[in-house]
Amino acid sequence: MANEKMKENVSSLIGASMPRNDVYEKVTGTAIYTDDIQFGGKLLYARVKRSPYPHALIKKIDISKATALPGVKAVIVGADFPKKIGLYLKDKNILAIDRVRFIGEGVAAVAAISNEIAMKALELIDVEYEELEPVFDPEYGATKEAPLIHPKLGEYEVPNFIFPEPGTNIANHFKIKKGDVESAWGKCEYVVERKFKVPHIQHVPIEPHVAVAMQDEKGKIILWASSQSPFAQRALIAETLEISPTDLRVIAPYVGGGFGSKAGVTMEAIPVALATKCKGWPVKLLLTREEEFFTNFVRQGLVSHVKAGCDKNGRVLALKNTMYFDGGGSTEYGVNVTRAAGYSSSGPYDIENVQTDSICVYTNHPIGGAYRGFGMSELHTGLDQVMDELAEKAGLDKVDFLKLNGVKGGDTLDTGMTMHPNGLVQCIENVAKAINWKEVKTPSSLNKYRGKGIAIAWKAPAMPPNAGSSAWVELAEDGKITVGLGGQEIGQGTFTVMAQMAAAALGVPYEDVRIAGPVDTQYSPYEWQTVASRLTWSMGNAVRRAAADARKQILDLVAEAWKEKPEDLDIVNGIVVSYKSENETTLKNIGIYGIPKDNNEGWIGGPIIGRGSFMPTYVTNLDPETGQGPRSVVHYTVGCEGLDIEIDKSTGAITVLRAAASFDVGHAINPTLVKAQIEGGFVQGLSSAMFEEIKLKKGVMTNPSFMDYRIATTADTDFPFETPYVEVPQDDGPWGARGVGEHPMVPTIAALGNAIYDATKLRLIGPPYSGEKIYLALLDEGLVK
Amino acid sequence: MINPHPGLPELEYIKPTSLEEASKFLAAHAGEARPFSGGTDCFVRLRDGVLKLNYLVDVKNLDGTKEISFDPKKGLTIGAAVTMNRVAVNPDVIKHYSNLVEAVNSVASYQLRNRATIIGNICNASPAGDTIGTCLALDGVLNIHGMSGSKQIPLNSFFIAPGKTVLQPGDIVVSITLPVPPQGFFGVYKKLGRNVISDLSIVGVTVLGYPSKETASGYKFRIALASVAPVPFVASKAEAVLAEKKITPDVIKEAAQAAMDSITPIDDVRGSARYRKYMVRNLTREALTEVWSKLGK
Repeated sequence: MANEKMKENVSSLIGASMPRNDVYEKVTGTAIYTDDIQFGGKLLYARVKRSPYPHALIKKIDISKATALPGVKAVIVGADFPKKIGLYLKDKNILAIDRVRFIGEGVAAVAAISNEIAMKALELIDVEYEELEPVFDPEYGATKEAPLIHPKLGEYEVPNFIFPEPGTNIANHFKIKKGDVESAWGKCEYVVERKFKVPHIQHVPIEPHVAVAMQDEKGKIILWASSQSPFAQRALIAETLEISPTDLRVIAPYVGGGFGSKAGVTMEAIPVALATKCKGWPVKLLLTREEEFFTNFVRQGLVSHVKAGCDKNGRVLALKNTMYFDGGGSTEYGVNVTRAAGYSSSGPYDIENVQTDSICVYTNHPIGGAYRGFGMSELHTGLDQVMDELAEKAGLDKVDFLKLNGVKGGDTLDTGMTMHPNGLVQCIENVAKAINWKEVKTPSSLNKYRGKGIAIAWKAPAMPPNAGSSAWVELAEDGKITVGLGGQEIGQGTFTVMAQMAAAALGVPYEDVRIAGPVDTQYSPYEWQTVASRLTWSMGNAVRRAAADARKQILDLVAEAWKEKPEDLDIVNGIVVSYKSENETTLKNIGIYGIPKDNNEGWIGGPIIGRGSFMPTYVTNLDPETGQGPRSVVHYTVGCEGLDIEIDKSTGAITVLRAAASFDVGHAINPTLVKAQIEGGFVQGLSSAMFEEIKLKKGVMTNPSFMDYRIATTADTDFPFETPYVEVPQDDGPWGARGVGEHPMVPTIAALGNAIYDATKLRLIGPPYSGEKIYLALLDEGLVK
Repeated sequence: MINPHPGLPELEYIKPTSLEEASKFLAAHAGEARPFSGGTDCFVRLRDGVLKLNYLVDVKNLDGTKEISFDPKKGLTIGAAVTMNRVAVNPDVIKHYSNLVEAVNSVASYQLRNRATIIGNICNASPAGDTIGTCLALDGVLNIHGMSGSKQIPLNSFFIAPGKTVLQPGDIVVSITLPVPPQGFFGVYKKLGRNVISDLSIVGVTVLGYPSKETASGYKFRIALASVAPVPFVASKAEAVLAEKKITPDVIKEAAQAAMDSITPIDDVRGSARYRKYMVRNLTREALTEVWSKLGK
């Protein structure tokens, strides 16, 4: 029989670069995004009145003139929706009440029959403010002298793993005390201490935030949104509106880029709130690019003080890391960024003595939220540059230093958790080889510096301890299967990977799997959020279990019909075979109509639907004072990046000659997608390292457009780039897989910083490492004239 | 304050059938009407509220504005509506004005250059205009249709202030004529952006050099600088150094220093004044060295 060959086909689905199952519609432009959906003539256009002040009391809002404007269907203010909203710390309102905390914060919103009328209505809203002293510096903001931004911090609802300090601007103070750092300095032969600053950056998805909401006469609401988090949005918005979550249905079409900005709730609650005031009318809010830049989640800024020491052999003995995150006017999501940076603050280094203070500070800057690998790029920017210097002081080759100090399976981490087996050392070796680490670096001309930099990184899925996933798998008459899931396809390829997993777990060809999309909270199974590089691992487990469940039902059914044992049967390439009797049948019809019994004695079976769910149950809380606990996270993905660069002595401009990134992905389900994620993440990391910065002047973003917020183009990233990955399996991952979506941008700033140092001996305080910054530093150091 | 909802204001689109009609309309609506061709600057500025107009007057297709022609005696004439991408692939331009191709291709992106025009770049009168320096160095002359018929204005007396030119109400720049370049010339444009392509200039340095019997050095150099002054800037002191002294690496350095010393740029979101000054010196030196090495051969 051809069974063996067929079996080969199926098992080779895992680790095969199957073509994306969303590629045709995306390439041809037929894929449906939220703004493509037609709502007919009743569609209303929403616009938001925004605060011009970074910090002010709202003395009075007069909406009477706006409400009276013909064409205006609803005008809302913050006081209409007094219940707080927030993913972790509930410190935000849908629209500001009593006080504004950053420039761009919504104070009122309008729904009108045209965009133009909505804009006119905004002009008719009179808001009287009383300006307050703003806070723009997180270090100052954390002091007792700073004016309070949230005087009622102590009253906010907060989960038990977030530690706000009421009476201050500190929204979360995460601490680690492992070993005894203070007494360890004495044992250190070399110590390096530096301050770093990482600026705010923006996600800049090509598709701006867009959401459409409609409430029917019975009070049920539908929200269509470009979203990474349909279920979290359902839960949070429903809670704020004091309705049942199942009375809010979120439909989430394809997403034109998220990078974390479309996680949690930002602007989506505004059209929902408006829709409750004009039942039966769909209300659309589509952000302008300018609003996208300065009114929505940003990646928080960071000021960090990093001190590390090693013995004479280069073994790192102690690390003290103090991080002040510039959380912005609300830290509802940002508190967990700070927490993640805190529990991961040792980086992938094995260090006996660690002391960390990761502090989330309210400021009058835009609100910090999730951003690809949140907390980690910021953390590693300082950490890996200090380690780089420490290696040099100890006289060690940096690659040898990283291999010596890099975390290995069995090591006790900064939180007390035991590290699982991992391929960090192999990643370091891969990168060193790819960029010819030992090769003598000759600049291409006398007018250039040449340098190489390397940095390692880790990241765990940053999420609540019990973030869950679920899936179903059903058979159709034609023997093809449909996978129901709640995680979002945001460009990373998760629908493709889930189809591969379902096909492999059930035993059907990849082409016979369709994903039930778009994700719709009314029909799709629950998924916490599409964030944290957790889908391949978490949703993958759920999908695999659902497919295995459907498979078992099929095998039981066919075994009964054939009067055989299920163990003797297999499903190969969509055909049920018996290795014993060599019987075979396709999956056609049997998953719907069952199988007739012999001699017309009736039927067995019925429609087959498999179900699967997954939730980590083993993560523990950490001690609030020491950050110690048995299991701080589900797992870490580790890796390494390196760059070989030149710097122009005339302009300071960096040219990347080549680069490499290597991550331990556990098991690459789809190697091409893994490569694409690593390439994309690295480019995003490099862009943040070289160009990106939200320039804030007294709370005003001075570059809210692509003209002056530069991002890397293909012309900036035209260099050889290798992505050799490592596969040390994850014990609870599907086929051993773990996530790699965010990690490739985590070490990039530090790796580039180290390359700049190697080239010039300059250690800059922080990115972006623009030509200007480098040139002026060279000038100030007397390295150029 | 940042405008969170920029948008195109209501305005009327006027499509005249002749230059005469266009001029009349523009003159009758001075201050509230403007000619446009590619619209790549106008529409952005209208959307941002920087430019406030009631009428946009489309001058594409009017009386030869879409034509580009080369005459061995008169030189190159580029119509107002000729897109940058058309200029860049024109065989006469490639053969006789290769430095113009380099300048044109440094502007924004290929997609934008499908609509953007050189005349638009000039009339926008931004000190950062990437094609202006080359047109200045080549002694470009603007051919203008106005209320009293045709007139010619040399480019070097065209700019008054950022966004302001000597154009009078009713004036439409129909084309620019770039005289036949001097024998044996070589020119370059060095643009410094924050990233490799598609940026506005932090500084832009145009250098053109050719053998000349009129100068002590035996060469004439033209140096034009972008983004360093309120208007596109000709570094005449640096040019003088190169005219008077025998060209050596040290003299090139001296000229570059003179260029740096003659400018008073500003700090803005794209770069600091301090960086701009050094970049003018360094890029002028690089550009002069490159041009000189070609002339020396």
